[in-house]
Amino acid sequence: MDIVCINIYDLLNAIKQVREWKSINASGVCMKEILRMENITKKFGEVYANKDINLTIMEGEVHTLLGENGAGKSTLMNILIGLYQPTRGDIYRYGEKVKIDSPSRAVKLGLGMVHQHFMLVEAMTVFENIILGVSNDKSIFIKRDAIKKEIIALAAKYSLDIEIDKEITEISVGAQQRVEILKALYRGAEVLILDEPTAALTDIEVEGLFRIIRKLTAEKKSVIFISHKMREVLEISDQITILRGGRTIATLAKENTDASELANLMIGKELVTCEHEKVTETKENIISLENVSFNKKSKHSGIRDITLAVGKGEILGIAGVDGNGQSQLAQMVTGVISPDHGEVLLHAKKIAKFIPGYFIAAGVSHIPEDRNKMGLIGAMSVKENLVLKRLEKPEISLGKGLFLKKPAMAKCAGDMKDKYDIRCESIEQETRNLSGGNQQKIILARELEENPDLLVAVHPTRGLDVGATRFVHEKMLDSRDKGCGVLLISADFDEILKLSDRIAVMFEGQIVGVYPGKNPPIKEISLAMAGKQMGQGD
Amino acid sequence: MEAIMNVNFIQELLLSMVRMATPILIVALAELYSERAGMVNIGLDGMMAFGALAGFLTCYITNNPYLGILAGAICGILVNMVYAFCTITLGAEQIVYGMAINIFAPALASFIYKIYFGINSTLISNTLMSAVPIPFLSKIPVLGPVLFNHSPIVYLAYLLVPFTYVFFNKTKAGLNFKAVGEFPKAAESLGINVIRKKYLASIICGGLAGIGGAYLTTCYIGTYSDGVVSGRGFIALSAVIFGRWMPGGVLLAALLFGFTDALQLRMQVLNSGTPYQLLAMIPYLCTLFVLAFFGIKKAGPKANGRPFFKEER
Amino acid sequence: MNTKNNFIKIAVPIIAIICSFLVGAILIACIGGNPIEAFSYLFRGAFGTASNISDTFVKATPLIFTGLAATFAYRCGVFNLGAEGQFVMGAVASIWISTTLTGIPAPLQLVISIVGGAIAGGLWGVIPGILKITRGLNEMIVSIMLNYVAILFMGYLYSGPLREGSVPQTASVTARLARLFSPIRIPAGIIIALVLAAVIYYYLFYTSSGFKLRTVGLNRTAAEYNGFPVKKLILISFIVSGAIAGIGGSVELHGTQFRLMSGFGEGYGFDGVAIALIGQLNPIGTVLVAYLFAVLRKGATTMQVGTGLPTSVIDIIQALVIVFAVAGSAFVNLPKIRQVFTNLTGKSKKEGK
Repeated sequence: MDIVCINIYDLLNAIKQVREWKSINASGVCMKEILRMENITKKFGEVYANKDINLTIMEGEVHTLLGENGAGKSTLMNILIGLYQPTRGDIYRYGEKVKIDSPSRAVKLGLGMVHQHFMLVEAMTVFENIILGVSNDKSIFIKRDAIKKEIIALAAKYSLDIEIDKEITEISVGAQQRVEILKALYRGAEVLILDEPTAALTDIEVEGLFRIIRKLTAEKKSVIFISHKMREVLEISDQITILRGGRTIATLAKENTDASELANLMIGKELVTCEHEKVTETKENIISLENVSFNKKSKHSGIRDITLAVGKGEILGIAGVDGNGQSQLAQMVTGVISPDHGEVLLHAKKIAKFIPGYFIAAGVSHIPEDRNKMGLIGAMSVKENLVLKRLEKPEISLGKGLFLKKPAMAKCAGDMKDKYDIRCESIEQETRNLSGGNQQKIILARELEENPDLLVAVHPTRGLDVGATRFVHEKMLDSRDKGCGVLLISADFDEILKLSDRIAVMFEGQIVGVYPGKNPPIKEISLAMAGKQMGQGD
Repeated sequence: MEAIMNVNFIQELLLSMVRMATPILIVALAELYSERAGMVNIGLDGMMAFGALAGFLTCYITNNPYLGILAGAICGILVNMVYAFCTITLGAEQIVYGMAINIFAPALASFIYKIYFGINSTLISNTLMSAVPIPFLSKIPVLGPVLFNHSPIVYLAYLLVPFTYVFFNKTKAGLNFKAVGEFPKAAESLGINVIRKKYLASIICGGLAGIGGAYLTTCYIGTYSDGVVSGRGFIALSAVIFGRWMPGGVLLAALLFGFTDALQLRMQVLNSGTPYQLLAMIPYLCTLFVLAFFGIKKAGPKANGRPFFKEER
Repeated sequence: MNTKNNFIKIAVPIIAIICSFLVGAILIACIGGNPIEAFSYLFRGAFGTASNISDTFVKATPLIFTGLAATFAYRCGVFNLGAEGQFVMGAVASIWISTTLTGIPAPLQLVISIVGGAIAGGLWGVIPGILKITRGLNEMIVSIMLNYVAILFMGYLYSGPLREGSVPQTASVTARLARLFSPIRIPAGIIIALVLAAVIYYYLFYTSSGFKLRTVGLNRTAAEYNGFPVKKLILISFIVSGAIAGIGGSVELHGTQFRLMSGFGEGYGFDGVAIALIGQLNPIGTVLVAYLFAVLRKGATTMQVGTGLPTSVIDIIQALVIVFAVAGSAFVNLPKIRQVFTNLTGKSKKEGK
């Protein structure tokens, strides 16, 4: 009896151990667990960027992290590579608990990250960038020939085509990415994290990247693939983890899911309730773009052949994940950049000069993407920022700006402050000391009090709390009702759905669909946002 | 004109060129190390003045010019540490602080001199470092004395050029160093300690600039006066730009400056009517044209002049 | 509160000045002198007699000009390190005008000469400006190079074409700026400087154009997005800054030196930048700090004569003011420190969210 018991006990223990760090994958092959993040939580102040996230990465698999902007992907990855420390939770490597307290520690643990914006020194060659900061031998001199041979061999092993002696400025974006991958591999990475790797690549380069990824996994390396593009995710992934609002919603195997299910999980809503009337048709266009292109070659900072119009008294919402050309669109309709091809008509008149001053004079107001960089003068007072655009108006100055009437400025600013509920100790306070919400209100006040014909609002409620958000939305709807046309660009899908009278989706610089704002077809829209058209097959 | 074509004249001219180029070369290399780490230091004049004073005083007291050079190096480092702290840790504007050093250090130097020697107009002189001719090479006709019969600091200065070249192009430390000035964020992400490298750069810069200054009072002329540096720090700054941040280029630039300096001095002696100033303008105009021609693209390490703060959230 | 910020802005230079004097006092004591005695000689030298007061004004005048030039430029985010060259070129233009236009009455010649100085300075200042706007070049190195070219050019002039006599210097100008209000004999030049300071103050803070110029210096991107003519404003700042320095050179020529010679304008350029920074980029502050520097300079020689202490002590004090003031400003502007200040004063009132 005893002998049998002992054996069973040993067996049970053995099975428990095996289960802890090995699992059977779909084809019945035994796979090792390389990395496990358990109940990872990260708080910044009162805000949860990550809450109880669970992520398990197996050896040799491509694991995709899918989610919208702000879902918590970057924070999670920054924890993994040692830039942030989790508030709670543990990380296990090969079943052993580890603490990743610095980037160098992460590298030593075999984690390599390829950032969306490459960390390559432009004035140096590919070779130099790869060996930067690495000291594998004791010599002070760089053993160029020997190391070059090593690198070339390594590159060949993973089919990474590189020109080792060229400067970074001389090689293509796709080639730069290969250098970044090689950098990670040279440092012994076993898990490669690719952050939106296809954002800057052409279609051909994307195919090349996928070939490399398959080679990596064939050599037992794991890849964490961060993306929002459905087609690519479904092509390359083995496992997909969806993040939303800082939490893990689900982890699915590719075979077991499809585009619609993923889109739903990403967005997480079926219905949206709307409390105000939606405009269904407009009489005239305030601004229209016809076949406009800018920086056509770039998929994530360019516009390709866009035809679009914003009507009087309507809100046109541009939906889409950040980085699909929205910034450029906003800059184009406010005169910061000028198109390479195509025409822009404002009040039915072709625009001759693309300078912000012209657009402002023609009645265009702008709530910019980055309020501190583009909208406000942080070191100046609230009062000064509020009256920024009316310095030559007769009530503020004499002789069109020759003498500024300080009391008049203060009164004007004071009125705006009250009307828009800007909370500050005094209007003489430096703007940079205010909270984000109040800073945004300053811009809102300044722009809306111009009674514009066109309001371009980019991420207008980013970083604002519920109350401030509601306030901004109210004011925008007021403007619309007064006849102003509103171009709303936002990565907050909720906001787009709630406010827009029409919804256009931007993907890789193009408009891939225009939908009605009343009873919007959410599934279709979210698919379009991820680059997949409805009914295009999985 | 005949006098100019004389071989003797040319030989003396070249000799002068080498000697006059030396302090510029040393200080320009100092600035090169600093700018390669992303720190623009325009306080070179100030460090040189202080180094000159330190060198002079030490040499006077100990009668040993070599100790003077060493003192110059140490004092240069001390002065530059003020700059380093305020710009690296406090994040003050590098240009502004460099200028503060330019005003402060010479004032301090002048003060110490007057305290020690009293206020009088006669210049105290000290022993100059003697030339150490290199045995075989200095006997070569014409070029021999020009190149191989100088005080050891001169040899040091010129040897620094290949050393710097090797450092930046052939060693790991040099590569990491350059990355700090080009893209500090990337360097930091690769485990390079950016802050430490910047302080190191400041130490090297201060040391070499101090030596450059000390050279003036222990090897070049044996006296110290308030105007001993006479703007050489800024000339060294121009040499770095003119030489496109490469040791070889800096050498050429320093020699060019040394040449025009030596030439206009001789012209002055020969014929006090010639407008030597027009000649003296050449190096500055050249620098301007180089800058205007090449524009911003090749204007030095990319992150030059910008403060670096570690990520915090 | 704006008053709190203003308080900090004024406190930093004042504390810097006090600290510098303290260190100076310690230095004097270390070498066996009596700080109180030394400082009393200093102040006597600057204010003791009517002629002393007058001389202090004379010393302050060029510093006010170069300080204003630097202030104006820096307000637009531009580093004008070329004030010395612009100062010199202004004087060069003036001397040329004075020697060529001989037939006209002195007051008119004076006016034309000063205007000429402004134009020359403005032109000299626009060179780095154009290079910055078209080629994106850093204006500092360009302007420093131009300083040397200007000084050498002036040297060429007074040693060659415009030389008078055996000593290398030019003839003296006939039209001279008077001294007013006997017995104090305030040099007319400083009146011009003060008027200029007032005009600049008005422009910066009471006109829409000045407002826009300041925004360019504080946040160039936001200025652009708000429709301000950024490139035009930057160019204006280079030209005006150069012109101010040019007027300074002209005034120095007609008011004090009367001829060009070696050392004309030496050091005023960089001192001007330091003065602007310590004066917190405010024209009024600039005037006050320039005057302080003049007091130090004038009093230093008296102190040296009276106590035997070298003038370098005063140079050190002056230098320390710069070192402390700039470090102090940087320190106070660190985000962490700003947080401390907001916490200190915001504890009672809560800023709404």
